Amino acid sequence: MNADLFDPTDDHRSLRELVADFTRNEVEPQAAKHDELGVLNVELFRKIGELGLLGVTVPADDGGAGMDAVAAVIVHHELSKSDPGFCLAYLAHAMLFVNNFYHCSNEEQRARVMPKVLSGEWVAGMGMTEPGAGTDVLGMTTTAVKDGDHYVMNGTKTYITNGCEGFCFLVYAKVEGRVTSFLVDRDCPGFSTSQHIDKLGMRGSTMSELIFDDCRVPAANLLGDEGQGITHMMRNLELERLTLAAMSVGIADRCVDIMVRHAQERKTFGKPLLEYGQIQRYIADSYAATEAAKSLVYNVARSVGPEHRNRIGTDAAKLFAAPVGKQVADAAMQVMGGAGYCREYPVERLWRDAKLLEIGGGTLEAHQKNLARDLARARPL
Amino acid sequence: MKVGLCAKVTADTDARLKASADGSSFEVNGKVVVGPYDAFAVEEAIKTKEKFKCEVVSFTVGGGDDVVAQLRGTVLALGADKAVVVSDPALAGTDSLGVARTLAAAIKKEGCDVVFCGKQAIDDDNVQVPAMVAELLGWAQVSRIVELEIEGTDFKATRSMDGGVREVVAGSLPAVFTAERGLNTPRYPKLPAVIAAKKKPLETPDLAALGLSGGDVAAKAVTTAYGAPPERPKGRKLEGDVDTMVSELVRLLREEVKVL
Repeated sequence: MNADLFDPTDDHRSLRELVADFTRNEVEPQAAKHDELGVLNVELFRKIGELGLLGVTVPADDGGAGMDAVAAVIVHHELSKSDPGFCLAYLAHAMLFVNNFYHCSNEEQRARVMPKVLSGEWVAGMGMTEPGAGTDVLGMTTTAVKDGDHYVMNGTKTYITNGCEGFCFLVYAKVEGRVTSFLVDRDCPGFSTSQHIDKLGMRGSTMSELIFDDCRVPAANLLGDEGQGITHMMRNLELERLTLAAMSVGIADRCVDIMVRHAQERKTFGKPLLEYGQIQRYIADSYAATEAAKSLVYNVARSVGPEHRNRIGTDAAKLFAAPVGKQVADAAMQVMGGAGYCREYPVERLWRDAKLLEIGGGTLEAHQKNLARDLARARPL
Repeated sequence: MKVGLCAKVTADTDARLKASADGSSFEVNGKVVVGPYDAFAVEEAIKTKEKFKCEVVSFTVGGGDDVVAQLRGTVLALGADKAVVVSDPALAGTDSLGVARTLAAAIKKEGCDVVFCGKQAIDDDNVQVPAMVAELLGWAQVSRIVELEIEGTDFKATRSMDGGVREVVAGSLPAVFTAERGLNTPRYPKLPAVIAAKKKPLETPDLAALGLSGGDVAAKAVTTAYGAPPERPKGRKLEGDVDTMVSELVRLLREEVKVL
């Protein structure tokens, strides 16, 4: 085992430095403005593409960086220290679309789509959740019916990150009752998106409905075979959970940093906040929880990949890490008092962003349900 | 055309430097990076490479694993074709002239036509090495450039002077240029290039391989100690009503500081 859990190789270390520098110089300065506006910074998104980060998990021979789940965790961890909202758009594109699409597409489809999504020319996303089917994903009602060299798709997906700016989406729909994966883009007649769905946090990314009204999807856009959707979905959900957990670690890391600095600078009754036991408890507990979440997430990341399944690990990582981001952001706000509640400082934004991680990509309750079932299956009576 | 660039790996601007207890060395608390002015030199070298489709070689004196990792992650990842890191125990106590002799010998051996340096490193702020390298090579040198045009073997460089005046200098290659802020906007390395940079050649010649001996780099000036600056005396707070404080301030400025 390599001694460094967080940067197991020189490539991982270089990646972290690259993303940390980019985050400090380019992501941090625009975060508050895009949070206020509630829009994705598309220009910044393309810059991320130029850096080669949109294909972090795609093999080098196919235009990506050829790195692993630990690398994906590093990118989300570092970006989320400054702008979890922007990072969520990155996740929806690079993990939910690019990584998933790469593994379930054929050569013709890759040649058509990969260069555009690796550069960021096309923003992409994934459509799974429906108005009547979130965690209960198999209850989806979107259908696709074969009609000559097309499928006719009907239904609505909702809460889709990158819906407003996205050009193409990986969409799950039922073909004769079996969940199937499709590539749907804005050139497909009958496809449209709703207005931006306004939200509490993660406002550096947008969310909308995807609407399929007798939408004609070319049969060439069928990904894999009919009925393979669940396999594609489950394979990718692990990386999704893990990177969402990494975002929570990034939020917590930043909030610990902010509260430790603030507690040294801010004086009340003639002494720094740091000298008060109540404040020490917030800081120390936050740090311990952050380190625990970080260790779990990175440890699980080592065993996640296209060929390695670790549903128990990824469920546990997100179940544990998601509340840590929220709790640590809350502690940072408490340490900062009124300043923490104000828009002048990033804590209130991170606090709003953190909540999503207890809901998106699987609610805490879904992780608890999955874990209990999988742990019991591993221990049959 | 072959482009050289001198890159020094120094403590990052937000790292803290602390003199060791015995004053014989200093410790860096924080990460090391290719210096910010050197980053402008790297960018200019890469732009020159793109224009002339030529080779870029970087030169560094001394370095451990941290230095090599930085050079690979930045200079090589950004497009330099090879890094030369001169490593020799005799370099441990050298001075600016020793560093310049080492760089000049390595640059000569590679056969560069133009060399870019940052205007200064940000750790020791000596600002001496690039000029010495030019002198040792017998080349032209233009310091603190903010614009550069190279056509054939002719160059036109614009220097930034105090008061906003710009000085335009023309000459012929070979030449050493030192980069000032504003010369360009350094790009970020691309992730696939960072990974590919691990496979780029990085040579670590010793002094003998460059035709130098320990005596050639022996320091003419020796650093005898490192220490913290004297602590600033505490500020004084004037008290009383406004009239009293103003009178006291005027008295202090006149009698103690003697500026009135």
